[in-house]
Amino acid sequence: MSAIRDFIGLVGDGVKANQTLWLLVFGFALFPIFSYFADLPFWNDVAMRIMLLGMAAMGLNLVLGYGGMVSFGHAAFIGIGAYCVGISQFYGISNGWAHLGFSIVTCGLAGLVIGYLALRTSGIYFIMITLAFAQMLFFLFVSLEAYGGDDGMSVDRGEFGFIDLYDPLRLYFLIWCALALVSLALMFIVRSRFGVTLRAIKSNESRIEAMGLSPLRFKMVGYVISAVICGIAGTLFASWQEYVSPDIMHWTRSGELMIIIILGGLATLAGPLLGAIVFLLLEESLPMLLGAVAPAYAENWMIIFGPLLIMVVLFGRGGLTGIIDRLSGTRGNADHKAGPR
Amino acid sequence: MSRAVLELQGLNKSFGALHATRDLSFCVNAGEIHALIGPNGAGKTTLIQQIYGALKPDTGHVLLNGKDITSLPVPGRVRAGIGRSFQISNVLMDFTVLENGIIAEQARLGQSFRFLRPAFDDPDLIAGARKILARVGLNDRADQRVGDLAHGERRMLELALALATAPQLLLLDEPMAGAGPEESQRMSQIIETLRGKLAILLIEHDMDAVFRLADRITVLVEGAVIASGTADEISNSAAVQTAYLGSE
Ligand SMILES: Nc1ncnc2c1ncn2[C@@H]1O[C@H](COP(=O)(O)OP(=O)(O)OP(=O)(O)O)[C@@H](O)[C@H]1O
Ligand SMILES: [Mg+2]
Repeated sequence: MSAIRDFIGLVGDGVKANQTLWLLVFGFALFPIFSYFADLPFWNDVAMRIMLLGMAAMGLNLVLGYGGMVSFGHAAFIGIGAYCVGISQFYGISNGWAHLGFSIVTCGLAGLVIGYLALRTSGIYFIMITLAFAQMLFFLFVSLEAYGGDDGMSVDRGEFGFIDLYDPLRLYFLIWCALALVSLALMFIVRSRFGVTLRAIKSNESRIEAMGLSPLRFKMVGYVISAVICGIAGTLFASWQEYVSPDIMHWTRSGELMIIIILGGLATLAGPLLGAIVFLLLEESLPMLLGAVAPAYAENWMIIFGPLLIMVVLFGRGGLTGIIDRLSGTRGNADHKAGPR
Repeated sequence: MSRAVLELQGLNKSFGALHATRDLSFCVNAGEIHALIGPNGAGKTTLIQQIYGALKPDTGHVLLNGKDITSLPVPGRVRAGIGRSFQISNVLMDFTVLENGIIAEQARLGQSFRFLRPAFDDPDLIAGARKILARVGLNDRADQRVGDLAHGERRMLELALALATAPQLLLLDEPMAGAGPEESQRMSQIIETLRGKLAILLIEHDMDAVFRLADRITVLVEGAVIASGTADEISNSAAVQTAYLGSE
């Protein structure tokens, strides 16, 4: 009993310290009501895509933002998670929980192996080796003709017992639950002793060694956790899209995740989610806006998108969450960072 | 007969053509403050690195309490009882003083693989961190970001972090370098309070501090020991006079 009360107290403290994150998460819970009354069911689809990419970006942020490990290959884990659905169904396993289970185990193992080899390097070598692993997996799936090769394979949505994913609202809330759980888990992790040590390693690895700790072990565990989170996002992505192809783990997606994090704010919990919202909304609306103003240039929306991103990164120190913190005069999104309390 | 905490046996280390450590053997005894002096580039930091495990000697052995630790990596040596402060301050700059203490405390307890409770709010860790900071009198600066501390305070914090692991051998690489006279004096006072409690290998260019603090002194020139003895023996040694003290 008291353990439960204790846990609820911890959740309460964490929510208070991360208000932007939980505002966004609960905003997503209410969004279907809005889209229903505004008669914009298409936007539910956009919201799901935002939640899935946001979740993956939150996972990557654990190593990129908190751990200072610039992994340029995290799309590989999204891809592995997605192929867990396709390949399971290929062998007749249609249970969605099983897909999630496979995804967690496979991405955990892949994260362990890639992490073990890549984390021995640092800086530009680490970036290159993580990219190389992702490219290797990309071309592996391109060459696997049995699983559709280049063209990929269409999949059925996983069967989650009473949660029928062909009901769009149930799919929406399954994805939302995953987002909420990932948010909760990361909220605990980054404030915990482990999370604090990971951030200290980013700050000064040699001082952590001087305290008798071996940084590699912490980095490995962080890497595996982040791989698993990306894998879960990928598994749900496949069910949402009803289709998997190597494209899902194209290197540009790894880059997209990094841009989303930097846009939203490195080493904050709300940042990746906020970054995903702004990134995908711009991606959806810029072509439309541009099409209305100058139809001939609608295809070239990237010309506006790129400079916009660069401006936020250059002038909004700490990304969008940094801007929010400065406007509201708090350090709500960076509460777990150092600073006078 | 005092017991040797650290014993170096025939260490050699070269960087290409530069022979930075030459056939080096000496002991640091339990509870003594042992100063290592020598001109710039004599190889003092290089030697410390080999004792600490950040550099591997080409030949020779490092023994801690009689156990060969030559192939042990840094974290293992720290757990075996070696603490260190660096020539250039090495603390967690992005955190507050108290947070530095908390991270040191959880590392000391060997309890850093925990995922649920917020570390910086943990009353036990805070109490432990306060004890760590109290040794160098930094508790009134607890909420200060380390990046905002004065240089001397950062050195104090680094000493506190090095002491947090309760080392039997403390390696101090120029702890007073760059500090003002007052800060240097506070640092000497704190080192003085450690006398007899643990072995200290102290590298320092400030000769007044060295002769005041050191029980024994070893003089290093071009990677080799040219003299080793008590403060009196060293200041009266002709070899040291010509090779080092005289030339300053
Ligand atoms: N990693 C390295 N690679 C090449 N040469 C090195 C390396 N580290 C040190 N050296 C050289 O080894 C010699 C000894 O350097 P070391 O830093 O040990 O001297 P020191 O006695 O600590 O000097 P100081 O009093 O200036 O700190 C110097 O000539 C230095 O340039
Ligand atoms: Mg030196």
